Amino acid sequence: MASPVSMPNSNALDAHIPTTPRDIKDMELLSDVCLLAGEDRIIDKDIIYICPFNGAVKGKVLITNYRLYFKSSDPDVSVTLDVPLGAISRVEKMGGASSRGENSYGLDITCKDMRNLRFALKQEGHSRRDIFEILFRYAFPLSHGMQLFAYLTQEKHEENGWSVYKPIEEFRRQGLPNNKWRITFINKGYDLCDTYPTVLAVPYKSKEEDLKRVAAFRSRARIPVLSWIHRENQAVIVRCSQPLVGMSGKRNKDDERYLDLIREANDTPKLTIYDARPNVNAVANKATGGGYEGDEYQNAELIFLDIQNIHVMRESLKKLKDIVYPNVEDSHWLSSLESTHWLEHIKLVLSGAIQVADKVTSGNSVVVHCSDGWDRTAQLTSLAMLMLDSHYRTLRGFQVLIEKEWISFGHKFASRIGHGDKNHADQDRSPIFVQFIDCVWQMTKQFPTAFEFNERLLLTILDHLYSCRFGTFLYNCESARDQHEVRLKTVSLWSLVNSKIDMYLNPFYTPESGRVLYPVASMRHLELWVTYYIRWNPRIRQQQQSPVEQRYKELLALRDEYLKKLEELQLSDSPSSHLANSSTPNTSSSTASTPPQQYTRLHTPF
Amino acid sequence: MEFSEHIKTANVEDVVLRQPLHPPLRGTLCITGHHLLFSDREEDEGRSSGQVLLLLRNIDAVEKSVENLLGYSGLFSSPGHAERTSGSSGTITIKCKDLRVLQLDIPGMEQCLNIARSIETLSCLDCVSEMFPFFYRPSELNLQDQWGLSSPEEHYRQATELHNRWRLSSVNRDYSVCPTYPRAVVVPREISDDMLVKASRFRQGGRFPVLCYVHRKNGMVIVRSAQPLTGANRKRCKEDETLLQAVIGGSDKGYVIDTRSAQQAQQARMTGGGFESKSCYSQWKRLHRHMERGKALQESLIKLVEACGDESSNMDRWLSKLENSKWLSHVQTALSTAGLLAECVERDGRSVLVHGSEGTESTLLVSTLAQLIMDPGCRTLEGFLALLEREWVQAGHPFQQRCAHSAFSHARLQHESPVFLLLLDCAWQLWRQFPLALGFSEALLLRLADEAYASSYGTFLCNSEQERSVAGVREKTHCLFQALLRSRHRDSYCNPLYERTELAIWPSVHPQSLQLWRGFFLRWTPQTRLLEEAQEEIRNMIVEWEKLVMS
Repeated sequence: MASPVSMPNSNALDAHIPTTPRDIKDMELLSDVCLLAGEDRIIDKDIIYICPFNGAVKGKVLITNYRLYFKSSDPDVSVTLDVPLGAISRVEKMGGASSRGENSYGLDITCKDMRNLRFALKQEGHSRRDIFEILFRYAFPLSHGMQLFAYLTQEKHEENGWSVYKPIEEFRRQGLPNNKWRITFINKGYDLCDTYPTVLAVPYKSKEEDLKRVAAFRSRARIPVLSWIHRENQAVIVRCSQPLVGMSGKRNKDDERYLDLIREANDTPKLTIYDARPNVNAVANKATGGGYEGDEYQNAELIFLDIQNIHVMRESLKKLKDIVYPNVEDSHWLSSLESTHWLEHIKLVLSGAIQVADKVTSGNSVVVHCSDGWDRTAQLTSLAMLMLDSHYRTLRGFQVLIEKEWISFGHKFASRIGHGDKNHADQDRSPIFVQFIDCVWQMTKQFPTAFEFNERLLLTILDHLYSCRFGTFLYNCESARDQHEVRLKTVSLWSLVNSKIDMYLNPFYTPESGRVLYPVASMRHLELWVTYYIRWNPRIRQQQQSPVEQRYKELLALRDEYLKKLEELQLSDSPSSHLANSSTPNTSSSTASTPPQQYTRLHTPF
Repeated sequence: MEFSEHIKTANVEDVVLRQPLHPPLRGTLCITGHHLLFSDREEDEGRSSGQVLLLLRNIDAVEKSVENLLGYSGLFSSPGHAERTSGSSGTITIKCKDLRVLQLDIPGMEQCLNIARSIETLSCLDCVSEMFPFFYRPSELNLQDQWGLSSPEEHYRQATELHNRWRLSSVNRDYSVCPTYPRAVVVPREISDDMLVKASRFRQGGRFPVLCYVHRKNGMVIVRSAQPLTGANRKRCKEDETLLQAVIGGSDKGYVIDTRSAQQAQQARMTGGGFESKSCYSQWKRLHRHMERGKALQESLIKLVEACGDESSNMDRWLSKLENSKWLSHVQTALSTAGLLAECVERDGRSVLVHGSEGTESTLLVSTLAQLIMDPGCRTLEGFLALLEREWVQAGHPFQQRCAHSAFSHARLQHESPVFLLLLDCAWQLWRQFPLALGFSEALLLRLADEAYASSYGTFLCNSEQERSVAGVREKTHCLFQALLRSRHRDSYCNPLYERTELAIWPSVHPQSLQLWRGFFLRWTPQTRLLEEAQEEIRNMIVEWEKLVMS
C-alpha cells in the first residue's frame, strides 16, 4: 500500500466551504474537494498523475480558478494533490501526438514550492489542449489580463488581518516619537519615495528639505529611516539603499550630515554602517552609479556582510531542489547539500543579523543597506529585530514584523515571486523571503521556548506567499497596493491565521521580554529545513504529524486550564492584586511585561 | 593496590582551570586515586563552577607542554602567565571521554609533570577491582539494595506467553558452556541441555542461539547467536540444526539476518567461521547486511569528533567532513538493518535469527533497536533500561574492552569500538523522529553514554556476567540502572511528551532524516547547553501544569 502523497500540512491550504458537485460521477471522486467561497470549477478530466513516488496513478483532475486538485481513482493507491495555481511557475507540454512510450504525452508543471507535477493524457484527439490552455490562463492570470484569485475570493473570517499592523501604533509601542526621533508624513502621496510606506521615522533634527536632498543621493530615494529603537540605550536600526557615489566618487553633504544626525541621536562616538553586500559587489555597483559610504562620512565605520545577491540565492535554491526532488540524493547527501551552499547563505544572513543586533545591544546605532535596500536589508533588519525585541516573537508581533519590514518597506514580492505571471525565467525572481523564513525557523529550532508561534505558521506563510489567495504578499510596494486597493478588495492572510490561532501556537512559549536571542550561526548548528524543502517526499516524512499536533493541542489546552486555575488561585489569595508575576511560563493571559511595551492580546481559544 | 605510589604531587596551589562554558578559574588542584578535584579560591561564593570533580577514568588523553619562562615563554604563552613569577610552569590539556576538553595551567614544571603522569597512570588502570565503583559509597545507596532490574529467570517468569514452547535452561550455570552468556538462557522447550552443549561447540564463543524477544502480536521471536563454525570443509551440527528448527516450530520459514556481507560470511569460513547454508538449514532464508564494527567504527568516531572540535574552519566544508567521518552512515545502516529485522517479525510474521561473527556487537545493536521499534514495553524509561540490561550487560557486550578509550586517546587501539554509543545515537534518532513514542529523554541517553565510558557504578564494568561474578560486582558496587530509577533526577530522564503507542515506530533512514546527535557531539558548546536548558524548561512546564490542573 502506497502512502498518500497528500501534503502533511495540507491544512495550511485547506478550505472550508463545501460545494455541490456537478454530477454523480464527479461526486464519487471529487466529492471531498472543499472549494472556497468564490472559487469556481473550470474543468475536470480523467488523467494520469506520474507520481515520482508511486508511479503512474490514474485519477481525475479538477481545475478551479484557484487550485489544481487531483484524486486517484484506484482505491489501493490513495493519492491526493491540492495545489494552488499560484504555486505554479511553469506549465509545459510533454511529448507530442506521435510520442512513443507509455504516458509520454501530457503536461509538465513546475512549482515554486519545491516540486514538479507530471500528468499524462490519452494521445488521441488533442486531449490535453483544453486543460493546458485553461491551466496556462488561470495559473498566470496577470499575463492574460485576468484578476488574481485574491480579488475573487469571497471567504470571510472573524478577524480582520488588515488591522494587525498600524505604523503609528507600532512606533508608539517602540516609544516614538520622542525628543530625538520624529514621525514624518512627507511621503504621504509617495512623492518622496514611491517604494516606501507613507509614515516614516527620521531624526528629530532633520528638516523636510533635508530629507528631499538626501533622497536625491540614495538609490530610488530610499533614504535612511528608523526601523527600530532600543528602549533603554536608544540605539537604532536605520535602513536605506546605497548612496549614489558613482565612479566619480560623488559626495553629498546633506547625506553625510543626515547620517551624523542619526549618530548624534543617542550620542555615541561612532555610527556603524552595515553594507550587506560583499565588498567587491559594492565596488562594482559604483559603475552603475551606486556605491558605499567612504571616508568622507566621519564618525562612521563601514562593515561589509558578504551576503550574495538575489541571483546567487535563486541558483542556490535551484540546486537544492535538484537534490531533493523528486529523488533525494542519498549516496552523498551531505556533500551534495554542501555544494548547494544554501546553508552557507543562511549562515551569512544570520550572522549578519547577529552583528547588527549585537551592535545595537551595546548601544551603537546602525545603518543597514545593500543596493536598493529591499532584499538583504529587509532580511537583516527584520532578523535583528526578531533577536532584539521579544514582541516580534509573538504570533501577532511576527505578523507586524513582516508587514513592516517586508511588505510596507517594499520588498518586491510581485517581482521576486512572480504572482500570476508566466515569465518563469524572469531574472527578478528570487527566494529572498523564503530564506528569511528559513532563518526564522533556524532560530525557533535553537530557542524552542522563545517563539509564540509554531512551525505550521511558517509553513502557512510560505504556502500563501505563492497561493494568491490573500492580498498580503501581492505587489511590490505600498503605493502599488493602494492603487490596486488591496486592503479593500482582498483578504489578509492574517485574517485566516488570527481566526484560528491555536493552530499556530507553540505550547512551550515562555515570554521573556528583555531577552536578546543570539542564535548560533555556525554550520554545525544549522540544519536543512527538511519539513519544508523535502515535505513532498512521503519517504522522508517522520512520525505522523497528526498525533504530534494532537498532543501539542492537548498541551495548549492543559496550559490554558493551568493559567485559568492559577488566576483563580491568585484572585482568591488577594482579590485586589492583578496577575501576580509567577515565575512559571505563562503566555496567553499574561499581558506582556513592561508597561510601555504592553501589547494586549486577548487569547480565547476558538 | 596503593594509589599513592602513583601520586607524587597530590596538591598544587594556584592552578588555572579552563573549561568549556565557564570563565577560567584559579584555585587548588588535587589528585586522588580516582579523581581530579579542583576547587576555586572563592569557594564561599557558592558558584557551581567553583568545584570540579572529574573521574580520572573519564580522561581519555593527557597532553602536556612545559615551558621555562626564562627561556621561550612566548611559545606557549597564555593569558594569566604573565602574572606568575615562578620560573617555570606547564599546561596540561585533558581530553575526556565525554568529549569535554579541559586545560590546567600549573606552576612548576616538576609538579606539572607529576600531575600528568599520575593522571596518565590512574586513568587507565586495568584491574577491575581497583576501579572507582568498588570504592563508591554514597550515603543514599546501600550495597544490600537490589542489584539490576531483572534477571533472566524473572524475565522468563513474567513472559508467560513463552512458557508453552520455551524453557529456561541453566546449562550455563557455571559459565562453562558459554563464558559470555548469563547463567540462565531461554531456549526451545524440546531442546535438552545436552543438545545445547553440543550446539554451543558449533558456535563461536559457545554462543548458541538463545531467545531474546517474542513479539506478542504474532508469537514470532528473535533469537541471537554467534556465527556457526562451519569452516572451510562445511562442517555441520545436527543439534544446531534441530535447535533452529525448534525455533520456528511449525512454521515453514525463518530468516537469518547476518550482519556481515555475503562475501565476508564466505571469507569467515577460511578462519573457521561461516554461515547457515541453504542445504543444511533449508527452512531458513539468509539476509546479509554489511555492518561496520570494531576498528572501522572507532576510526569513524575519531574522525567525527575531530571534525566537531575543529574550530578553525567553522564553515569550511563542515558537511563534507561530517560525511567523510561516515558516522551517520553507520547510524543509517544500524537503523535500516534493525528495520529489516522488525519487518521480518512484524510484517512478514517470521521468526528471525540474528548474528554476525561473535554476536556481541552488531548483533546486539540490531536486536535492541528492533525491539525498540516493535515493542512499546521497551520504550518506557524502565523498559529501556531493562532492555539494555538484558541485551547488553547480561548478553555479554564486552564493555570494558570496547569503552576503554574514546575518540581522543593516543593509545594504540586494541579492542575499542563505540558500538554502544552507536546504539544510543540510533535511539536518539528514534526519539527525534518520534517525539511522543519514547518514554525516556535525551538526558538519559547522554548519561548512559557517559556512564559506559567512566562510571561510579558497577553496571558497565567487565566484559561478561562471569567476569562480574568473579570480581564481585554485584556485592561490592552499586547498580547504575537502579540508581537512575531512584534518582531525584529521575524526572529529567523522562520524556514529558511521552504517550504510549502500541504501534511499531518505523524510522526513516534516509540521510535527510538523520541528524548529527548534537547533544552529544557538540555538547560543550553554549548553543547545545541552551537547548538542554530549554528542554528542561519544557519538562518543568508540563509537570507544573499537570500538577495544578490535576490538583
